[in-house]
Amino acid sequence: MIMPRASGQLLLPANPLFVWGSIFFALMVNLVPAGRSAWMPDVVALVVVFWNVHQPRRVGVAAAFVCGVLMDVHQGALLGQHALAYTLLGYASVVLHRRLLWFGLGGQMAHVLPLFFLAQVLSTTIRMAAGGMWPAWGVVASPLIQTLLWPVAAALLLAPQRRAHDHDENRPL
Amino acid sequence: MAPPGTIDRTPPPFFRQGASARSQLALCAALAVFLMVADHRMQITQPLRATLATVLLPLQHAALWPARLLDGLGQYGAGLDESVAQNAALRRQLAAQSEAITRAARLEAENAELRALSGLRPALPPATVHAEVLFEAADRYSRKVVIDRGSVAGINLASPVIHEDGLLGQVTRVYPLSAEVTLLQDQQTSVPVLNQRTRQRGVAFGDGADDSGMELRFVAANADVQPGDELVTSGLDGVYPPGLPVARVARVERQAETSFARIELAPAASADGRRHVLVLPTKPRKADTDTPMSGGAAAANSRGGRTP
Repeated sequence: MIMPRASGQLLLPANPLFVWGSIFFALMVNLVPAGRSAWMPDVVALVVVFWNVHQPRRVGVAAAFVCGVLMDVHQGALLGQHALAYTLLGYASVVLHRRLLWFGLGGQMAHVLPLFFLAQVLSTTIRMAAGGMWPAWGVVASPLIQTLLWPVAAALLLAPQRRAHDHDENRPL
Repeated sequence: MAPPGTIDRTPPPFFRQGASARSQLALCAALAVFLMVADHRMQITQPLRATLATVLLPLQHAALWPARLLDGLGQYGAGLDESVAQNAALRRQLAAQSEAITRAARLEAENAELRALSGLRPALPPATVHAEVLFEAADRYSRKVVIDRGSVAGINLASPVIHEDGLLGQVTRVYPLSAEVTLLQDQQTSVPVLNQRTRQRGVAFGDGADDSGMELRFVAANADVQPGDELVTSGLDGVYPPGLPVARVARVERQAETSFARIELAPAASADGRRHVLVLPTKPRKADTDTPMSGGAAAANSRGGRTP
């Protein structure tokens, strides 16, 4: 198997419990009432894209869809608004997943920024068409912040797979 | 049924990967679009919403905990001085209200007597439900808060929601154990109002902006409206009871090119930092329903308040 250059190191297999647990945690983060600031990053979108890139066979487009419906109900938004955006995000990241891993973190961020941005434009367009209010211009910052969080997500979510498989006293993790 | 002797058509388990990403995309995107149409046009998704909302509710309560903790820590840090000041303010308020309450009791007795004299039906006090605001919905395209009482507690669609400063909004979605309240600042809310000073009627609309929030539309440019005028609900729509404070006129702009004045309002009640609200019943109770008012109330319902 050809190993992507950027990963640099062989990873342990992902623990499905950790994958689904991290998605659940991201949902909980989105449920925390932090006001309705327009720039608030969407952690669920970030984590869904991340796992669709790294584990496309485990977390698929359908999982993204279900997360989207839950976010719609939580926000009291138009049902299907987040679902459609996450579905397209999920599909785009499955399509990109072979290519993306050949890039370093900077290259990956350059790939996901337009994805997040297009998803934001899509949901804003849908809501405006359905009679929503124009949000503050801060919405533009939300995909940017999500992209800036990508390295953080990479560090946190891949950490369990970076542990040594034969840990001993010198390498406890 | 494959004829004998041909090769097995099912792939070995190693190649079984489930549906391809593209077919998943097609299915999920179609489902999402269907959900949108069903939600927005046909409005048949309420059972699905109610189910998911009830499932999400424990998680929402759990997610509330860190915010409440921070809040509590902040209040704890603010310390004794503030609570003493708050206590004094509340006592002053109580004293002021006790005077109003005794007067109200006297007026009520007098009113009952007058009603009996003129042969009218007795007016019943409304059955209100006390609720707590859980959180402000994070949706950027609307202004809503979620309260912790739902249809189980007897909350109906389109009920007005108030707190002590005045009208807050209207219940627009009811789940079994929670409900969504659309605030007056939302773009799709409108309230029929009465100018306290001039007794002039009008309709206040939410404009969604974070700073001002409401607008009094369709008022002639030469109408007598001044900054500082108090607007209360006029009760014309039959949804909101008359006399609830709605907003104060913040700015009046008269332009030559339009025949209407542009009037910005500052809402009397804001949802910021409010935990306790009161949900009023939608319709007048039994004793009043067969008065001529109720027919008008149903007709005005669609205009005055948004019914999803």
